[in-house]
Amino acid sequence: MPDRIADIWGGRTPHAAGTPWPVRVDRYVDEGVAEADIDWVQSACVLCSNGCGMDIGVQDGRIVGVRGRASDRVNRGRLGPKGLFGWQANNSPDRLTEPLVRRQGQLQPASWDEAMDLVVEKSRQVLNSAGPLGMGFYNSGQLFLEDYYTLALVVRGGIGTPHLDGNTRLCTATADFALKETFGSDGAPGSLTDFDHCDTIFAIGHNMAETHTVLWARVLDRLHGPDRPRLVVVDPRPTRVARAADVHLPIRNGTNMALLNGIQHELIANGWVDHAFVDAHTVCFERLERIVMRYPPERVAGICGVPADEIRAAARVIGTAERLVSTCLQGVYQSHQATAAACQVNNINLLRAMIGRPGCTVFQMNGQPTAQNTRETGANGDLVGMRNWQNPDHVADLARIWRLDPLQIPSWAPPTHVMQMFRYAEEGALKFLWIVATNPAVSLPDLGRIRSILAQERLFVVVSDAFLTETAQLADVVLPAAMWGEKVGTFTNHDRTVHLSEKAVDPPGQARPDMDIFLDYARRLELRNIDGDPLVPWGTAEECFEAFKVMTRGRPCDYSGLSYAKLRGGSGIQWPCTDGQPEGTERLYTDFTFNTDPDLCEDYGHDLVTGAGHERKDYAELNPAGRAILNAAHYIEPNEPPDDEYPFLLTTGRTAYHWHTRTKTGRVRQLDAAAPEAWAEVSPADAERLGIGEGDLVRVESRRGRLEARARVTGIRDGVVFAPFHYGYWDASDGHTRAANELTMTVWDPVSKQPLFKVAAVRVTKLADAGGTPSSAPTTTASEPLIEGVPATAGGEGVRERDAQEEQ
Amino acid sequence: MKLDKAIEDVHEAESELATQLRSVGERHASEADLYHLGHTLARQCAEHARRLAPFAERYGAAPPGGSGMTQSPSVLEALRRTGAKLIGKSEASGLLLLRDLRHLYLAAQNAEIAWVILLQAARAVRDPELIEAATECHEEAEARGKWVRTRIKESCPQVLASG
Repeated sequence: MPDRIADIWGGRTPHAAGTPWPVRVDRYVDEGVAEADIDWVQSACVLCSNGCGMDIGVQDGRIVGVRGRASDRVNRGRLGPKGLFGWQANNSPDRLTEPLVRRQGQLQPASWDEAMDLVVEKSRQVLNSAGPLGMGFYNSGQLFLEDYYTLALVVRGGIGTPHLDGNTRLCTATADFALKETFGSDGAPGSLTDFDHCDTIFAIGHNMAETHTVLWARVLDRLHGPDRPRLVVVDPRPTRVARAADVHLPIRNGTNMALLNGIQHELIANGWVDHAFVDAHTVCFERLERIVMRYPPERVAGICGVPADEIRAAARVIGTAERLVSTCLQGVYQSHQATAAACQVNNINLLRAMIGRPGCTVFQMNGQPTAQNTRETGANGDLVGMRNWQNPDHVADLARIWRLDPLQIPSWAPPTHVMQMFRYAEEGALKFLWIVATNPAVSLPDLGRIRSILAQERLFVVVSDAFLTETAQLADVVLPAAMWGEKVGTFTNHDRTVHLSEKAVDPPGQARPDMDIFLDYARRLELRNIDGDPLVPWGTAEECFEAFKVMTRGRPCDYSGLSYAKLRGGSGIQWPCTDGQPEGTERLYTDFTFNTDPDLCEDYGHDLVTGAGHERKDYAELNPAGRAILNAAHYIEPNEPPDDEYPFLLTTGRTAYHWHTRTKTGRVRQLDAAAPEAWAEVSPADAERLGIGEGDLVRVESRRGRLEARARVTGIRDGVVFAPFHYGYWDASDGHTRAANELTMTVWDPVSKQPLFKVAAVRVTKLADAGGTPSSAPTTTASEPLIEGVPATAGGEGVRERDAQEEQ
Repeated sequence: MKLDKAIEDVHEAESELATQLRSVGERHASEADLYHLGHTLARQCAEHARRLAPFAERYGAAPPGGSGMTQSPSVLEALRRTGAKLIGKSEASGLLLLRDLRHLYLAAQNAEIAWVILLQAARAVRDPELIEAATECHEEAEARGKWVRTRIKESCPQVLASG
């Protein structure tokens, strides 16, 4: 019975390439609950984008535990620590159970009628005075498909504003855009089973040991198997993934583009390119070649700060792979030249013809469990159903399905990204902002600015959430929402696997599902379609799913062959799932025909340096016609290079034990105890120069704010400081010195508009001696201390998984 | 042969554009993308001038003049940024932004056509090195104009159709 706080990935079940990943069922239930008393309800985990199939254990109307679903293709029974323990947040005593309305400066309890009437009255005022462009909606990566689709119809169709985005903008906007730029549409080309088949893994900026713990367990089972795949890792931190690597490139953060150009230089220079594939199935090779040939390893070594021979070694492993899986995440998406670099990862697989076959794919990974659904439903920066906002036929088709005049649906520009919405609010143009299940007061960059925007009198802020977050504390109206397990719905993971999550228990008090809140809002606002009927024709989640299926028919994310009944029992199913492909589709592009037909494609693409938008005539001239696009760009200098005043490079990130801003995981005793406080990682050489030892209190300052935390001395790259972004203020005493985003910059990628959290200049000073107390940062992860004697992160009482036999 | 004139015209247009990219970025520093990308593209203008240097010598053109290629004087930048903070919290900043972006668009187009002219001349004198340099710089010059166009198209509905 492992302690799954100490042993994040659980026991090994090694296997060979091409053989199925063995089953291992993980479970955790409350002490003293007898197996016979538990009713198990089907669901999947909402604490990362892997979306592991799990069952929720219920006793007497209360969630008492979870177990992995052995039959599920995603996890084969496994769960990570967040999944095993995170459900306890549902039972927190401080859940929001009634609406709150600000009166005389204070949030006070109100009835649903009072709260919703106020929201509707303010909406009408803004619509009358400023029009739809005065209204903004910012949602999450945590809702279900049905919540998002309802919201997209209400906002894009009913209110008619383009100002609707998801916090997926902070995590997977670049994945979405990189897929559209290269392959013509969103949607992961491959399958998680490709990790079972591959002989080489290239992971750049993807600390999967912490962000996707069950995926890392899957990879570990190959690494411990009889035919270990080779592993190339790019990360400035000594992550567990990096430590397992054959070649680890701890590059200076912000230089991905130079490195990836350099690797492509080597692929071309050494003849590791499949020219027959490139000629037949891609366009723009000549331009790519012209650009990357300017990046010989010696030049790249100077930019990235790693030896040229190591770059050559990495390229050789990739160049001689027979079955290559490449994967990237926030180290690319939240860093300088995000989309440009993510496209180069696609290019590497295309140059080597490593796509559309078992063991050969590229993963533009997601972060949040339902990020994929914000993209499919158009609740983020995409038009609904992977339609192209620049294609009038697509807009007209959507208007036909929604029974609206096509002019009603905003399509004069791409949907507005969240950083632009906050800018509009800052200048007073946006007057109403509804924030759903996310916490921008901790998760957006430059928090001093964000707080000042949210606190403006002239901005009416509605927050729906399960808890009184830092953001909710700044709201005018707070609406209590049901969480996972308290409503039925579906969601889709990063390999297109759709899961059904059943309602296991009732929400607490008066809390309601988000979809129901949006339906109530639409009804009170009297939103109607072209026939004069209510705009939203559904009343239940299943009816919404059926409507979504109709809307996706014929689009890349075709759900038309799915149903709640089909998703009950067994495993999740991968879209596209149609009458012709009733069991779903494991891999896209198996015939190497990509979604780049101009009538089909989701986007006409961008210039990667400036974000200049291409139009249909540009796409027609490029004429990809089903071939993938090899996008290329030069490396450019980051926006805020270190200088004498701010000599360090800051990067922010995640730990295995926490999710987002700890709204849930901070309320789970096992997870909270594993990583209770913020910290700042520095290298031994930097620590020595600054006179800092393990546990000393340090101040990390940027031009925008400061963070005070204990130092953890690790094997991180010299000159780089890491701070976790999870910690905010709901459980802190005072001040604004705990959140890493006090330091980060208001700057975003020109294409995906994803804020850049991985590159900012900071300085570090020691404030006080540790007095013998080390940092409480986890010892089991990339934050592992270098000195001996730091107490190991372990679960203590009540964290061991218990198996069914033990209880019987 | 008057290629020196075409090269000097490119220098002048790029220098003027760099000045405008910096000043618009600084005047609208609350528009973070304009500030950062404006400075990145101004550095690209300087890179273009460096790229042309050997050809300026080859064809007897004057070296690039003007101060646009270098950084804005720090006093001027500070002044613009302070102004940006003041107007950045008002809806009135939208109309100023549109006006400045229109001027920036014209400056970007002016630089783009200057590269077209130089590229045509390079072809006619059959200078393969200049053809290569002008082709690559022109590609980037086109992207700059397209970027400003995209930015205008995205911004103007909010400025004009709201309120």
